[in-house]
Amino acid sequence: MKRLQSSLGLLLPILLVLLIAAWPLVTSQASDRESAFTILKAITLAASLNILLGYTGYVSFGHIVFFGLGGYVGFYLVAVQNWPLVPAMLVGGLASGLLAFLLGKAILQLRGAYFALATIGVNEAVRAFINNFQPFGGPIGLTMNFKVYQQYGGAMQALQMAFYLMVLLTLIVVIVSHRVRVSKFGLGLLAIREDEDAAEVMGVVAPAAKTWAFVLSAIFPGILGALFFFKNGSVEPHDAFPLAASIEAIVMIMLGGYGTVIGPVVGGLGFQWARGFLLTNRFFKNIQLTVTGMLLLVIVLFIPAGAIGWLRHRFPKTRRVLQ
Amino acid sequence: MKRKVYLMILLLLAAMLALAACKPAPAAEEAAPAEEQAPAEEMPAAAEEVTLTIGFTASQTGKYETSSGRQVRGFNLWMQQINDAGGITLSDGTVVKFAAVSYDDESNKDRVQELYTRLATEDNADLLISPYSSGLTAAAAVIAEQYGKVMLTTGAASDATYKQGYTQVFQIYTPASRYLAGAVDLLKATDSAVSKVAFVYENSKFSTSVVEAAKAYAEEQGYDVVLFEGYDPETTDFGSFINKIIDSGAEAVLGGGHFQDGSTFARQLYEKEVAIKFLALLVAPPEPDFADLGDAAVGVIGPSQWEPLAAFTPDFGPTGDEFVQSYTAAYDEEPSYHSAGGYAAGLVLEKAIRDADSTDPEKIKAALDAMDLTLFFGKIKFDTTAEAHGLQIGHSMVYIQWQKDADGNLAKQVVWPADGATAEVLYPLH
Repeated sequence: MKRLQSSLGLLLPILLVLLIAAWPLVTSQASDRESAFTILKAITLAASLNILLGYTGYVSFGHIVFFGLGGYVGFYLVAVQNWPLVPAMLVGGLASGLLAFLLGKAILQLRGAYFALATIGVNEAVRAFINNFQPFGGPIGLTMNFKVYQQYGGAMQALQMAFYLMVLLTLIVVIVSHRVRVSKFGLGLLAIREDEDAAEVMGVVAPAAKTWAFVLSAIFPGILGALFFFKNGSVEPHDAFPLAASIEAIVMIMLGGYGTVIGPVVGGLGFQWARGFLLTNRFFKNIQLTVTGMLLLVIVLFIPAGAIGWLRHRFPKTRRVLQ
Repeated sequence: MKRKVYLMILLLLAAMLALAACKPAPAAEEAAPAEEQAPAEEMPAAAEEVTLTIGFTASQTGKYETSSGRQVRGFNLWMQQINDAGGITLSDGTVVKFAAVSYDDESNKDRVQELYTRLATEDNADLLISPYSSGLTAAAAVIAEQYGKVMLTTGAASDATYKQGYTQVFQIYTPASRYLAGAVDLLKATDSAVSKVAFVYENSKFSTSVVEAAKAYAEEQGYDVVLFEGYDPETTDFGSFINKIIDSGAEAVLGGGHFQDGSTFARQLYEKEVAIKFLALLVAPPEPDFADLGDAAVGVIGPSQWEPLAAFTPDFGPTGDEFVQSYTAAYDEEPSYHSAGGYAAGLVLEKAIRDADSTDPEKIKAALDAMDLTLFFGKIKFDTTAEAHGLQIGHSMVYIQWQKDADGNLAKQVVWPADGATAEVLYPLH
């Protein structure tokens, strides 16, 4: 029974992701596939950030830097070096992981607001670097020839394939997030979140644990960036490093419930679905930002622990299931 | 206490909904219900009425809000006028009217593909108009091409999008690569003795694409590019760049980027009394606020996609004056070149349908390929080669210069091309 309850902690978010993936397959609407892609992209960003923010307690405003860097590296390999998409995505992820490793050694010594500020600085610094890096097109960025899609059977198939890869990536992020959550390593991260000094006294090697959490959380947005810009056919500094996207990822985690596996899935789904609905609804589309702001205000005022946090608090029995 | 808070929030939400209900529908939808205004059964039996749906995203929020809003207003004015005039009547008696569907892209690439897919599939848009900006248009072009929908781009000057093998995308604006080419031509026509040119530009996507092409063009024309230097978009002190210009011995300076940096650069060049003969900057000079620089604005040249002053003689559609009058009457604001671009996109679409004498997308596309006409906006002709299909090759920028009139007041004058000029160029600069 306990084993089943533990498995549900993984099965529920996976089921949710699969339901999102099945939605466009059931309706056979290409626009639903695109909406599902946007939701899964948001979930991947939020779930990967949750490894650092939710488990370790380090608030990063620079999470999107990994998305941008991985996107650039992957896009360069596909569009300029003519690499196949999947290896290019993996190299994009590794590039972001490497950046996180190097950064982690330096800035993870900072705590609280200082760390948060440093992550904003990193985003700006990398953007400035890319803006002046000619192999990546400098400020002009890179554009991909439409015929590249022919290698995947045309644009229609390429976009379909991008969607399946998106589903797979989201599932992997959720599984990795769960493995971290239930592992000894994850326990160490949670201890750091509660009290870093006490965790060190108890034998957690905090600098190493934090660095690996940072690396792990950076790899997935890197892979995601390569996929996203492949699908868009172009990449430029302005699109690759939007600070607002980092903030949105934090909001989604807070909405869903930080530090849980299913929280970012619920938060990403709720936030992006609501945004998509408000944007395209005839009645709300001109006031969608106002309505979004009001909803956020209501949620933060009344359920600050997020949807999952509220459920866990209100119905203690769900704590074993909603991890 | 808690109940009071709940009550307040409910009241706020209710007030918000009430406000939303009072807010007028977006202009795209105001002009849209052509079907409702002229139901098919009221038409003579022979005249079948077809309503073509035109889909686009507009940046109703975010940093492109102003420019995109003007573009949409220009397009909606055309749609309103054509529908009010009874639509387009084809030779078989079919009356073509137009309806628009649009969404807010938030000036953000994230949802552009999602929204264009929705326009192409769920809303069954027959034709598409691009979002504002080259970045958003690049993402939308993939979808337009995928679904075989003709997309007219306006507000998207970058050349790169049209060199990616697309066949459905047609550009209204002069491409970035030719933004400053006319300035080089103007310089050559004005003073053939000038040989040293400096490029000082904002290090951003748009400005860099423009000056890289202009540099190549200037070198082709035999100019010696003595300085080619980018500056950060946040730059407020151009002292070091000005010193480099002086050291280089440049006689003409081209570059700039956006309004703030461009106007600061022009002011500091004037204050330091740099002995240059010719100054052409991107974006800033055509803006009316540029006149706030006073004497520093005199003689500064700037490229614009369109100016109300430009005296083109259209062989289709209204004259510039007629457009300005109808736009001002409809929206109570002066049209910018973004507004003119939106209106011109509608005119091009209308002409293509008239030339094709059909609503068949393939025939409309063929008509666009064959198009060669002059609008109040300027000349329109598209590249039909496989390398750059849809790239605008007919339209050219107009170049304005700030000059003082007889009363000593600053006023914009069109100085290039010669056939649209309203005044002789003021040369040398200081």
